[in-house]
Amino acid sequence: MNLQVQLGNLTLKNPVILASGTAGYGREIAPYLDLDRVGALTLKGLSSSPWMGNPPPRIHETYAGIMNSIGLENKGFERFLREDLPFLETFQTRVIANIWGKSIEEYADIATKMNRLERIDAIEVNVSCPNIDQGGENFSSDGQVLCQLIGNLRQKIQKPLIVKLGPNTDDFDQVLGFMEKEGVDLLSITNTFPALAIDVENQSFIFSRKTAGLSGPAIKPLALKLVYDVIKKTRLPVIGMGGIMKAQDALEYLLIGARAVALGSVNLIDPSAALQIIDGIEDYMVQKNISDINDLIGKVR
Amino acid sequence: MKKAKIIRKRFLSSLFVELWLEENDIARLACPGQFVMVSTGSSYDPFLKRPLAVLSTFENQFGLLFEIVGRGTEILSQLDTGEQVEVLGPLGKGFSLNPSEAFLIGGGRGLVPLYFLAQVFSSKKIPFHFFFGIKNQPEKILIDYLSQLPISLVVSCQEEIAGFYCGTVLDAFVDWLHHSKSKPIKKIYACGPQGMLQALSQINEIVPNQVEISLESHMGCGYGVCLSCAVKKKGSPGYFHVCKDGPVFRLGEIEL
Repeated sequence: MNLQVQLGNLTLKNPVILASGTAGYGREIAPYLDLDRVGALTLKGLSSSPWMGNPPPRIHETYAGIMNSIGLENKGFERFLREDLPFLETFQTRVIANIWGKSIEEYADIATKMNRLERIDAIEVNVSCPNIDQGGENFSSDGQVLCQLIGNLRQKIQKPLIVKLGPNTDDFDQVLGFMEKEGVDLLSITNTFPALAIDVENQSFIFSRKTAGLSGPAIKPLALKLVYDVIKKTRLPVIGMGGIMKAQDALEYLLIGARAVALGSVNLIDPSAALQIIDGIEDYMVQKNISDINDLIGKVR
Repeated sequence: MKKAKIIRKRFLSSLFVELWLEENDIARLACPGQFVMVSTGSSYDPFLKRPLAVLSTFENQFGLLFEIVGRGTEILSQLDTGEQVEVLGPLGKGFSLNPSEAFLIGGGRGLVPLYFLAQVFSSKKIPFHFFFGIKNQPEKILIDYLSQLPISLVVSCQEEIAGFYCGTVLDAFVDWLHHSKSKPIKKIYACGPQGMLQALSQINEIVPNQVEISLESHMGCGYGVCLSCAVKKKGSPGYFHVCKDGPVFRLGEIEL
């Protein structure tokens, strides 16, 4: 049975990826699953310098989902090199670095540093962070700025370049056209959905930044539609994500043409979920008598 | 992730529930101050597991004692003996276990990790004094629960109850200190509401770095990936994460 998928110039042994921010830098989730079994591990978003993130509360539970406002807290590139890279060297699985910055210069700096690391197989650029005042939101909500950023990063990154977009991306048609022209290799769709929650008792916003990113099964039909629409508009391979809890959910994304899927919120409630999802995809293929996963991808358009 | 079978369930009152679950690894490995993430079911609503402190362990079982504070704990309280729940753990950094002598100070449901600690200290023959406070009559059941342990206890209630010190647990503690002529305080272990921990840090006789406190927090994952359970560091920028850096911290290292 073949589970291997080809996403542009990135080959994965199976289409199941751990999404950024839900698997740490590998070490944290490794006690619960064999990292070598997943298609790829996406690292928690890194910036050149450490970033302390948002004040609590940072998480709020909703019906079948969670809202988060972590604010991109991360240890910065240097500590990642010291504390986590050596651990990642002990695995063979594909590692995707997720990067962000507060300015084009900061993005360029972390991109250059990551691009030099042999252990990093691809670089995912987060341009749609609804949590940082001066950061991500500006880049994805202004098509022109976004294009300028990606054009700049393409010069710096020789590894496969993934752009992670969210539902609030400005002018998808224009942006997707530009991504293709600039030679972006892959798209990750979607980041969390900007959402709002109110503390009725205290008559205030739950989060200090008012809005927060909604993820989990609550968004799955919305995310699936977004992925479906994006695939219609571009020839770039898409990693589909949003509310995947089971193999069934992952298969929905693959059937509409996502070349791989990423698991996010599910890792929080079950850190070994990826293994069951990979097994579940295999079971489905056996049951449907499909020997190559690529025969499944895009079957429902 | 592990499946744990509910062996025993008891409502101490309409608010407090004691559960004993069978799961060998947690029973074998859990230390006082550590916690487990417990699933409330498979419906995705509530979506997240609930972080609950370990009450104690016995053979291949571990105990939980929790207060019903919302939908998650409400659902957990309705599970029956024989049912299975998914659990992750033991998680987090627990209390240090080798003081020469100690004071334990607990308030309300903060009793849970200290109950476990008191058992371990008793078995290790480490001398300690346990101060425990409740807010009101409905919480008295916690004092009755704690009284099962063969230890000396000072108990307080903020409402008047015959036989109990009337005031906060820290009023009782400070009173005791002033009357006892005991040696300088060595080690304190505390768990309780935020206000109690804040007040504890204001007591002159204590050395903040000799006080270990166990914190409660909303959590996403419980194992250090989501970074939701942030608590501000004292004296330097940035946050600790209750699930991984704690839940036990030194009083001097965090901003309460």
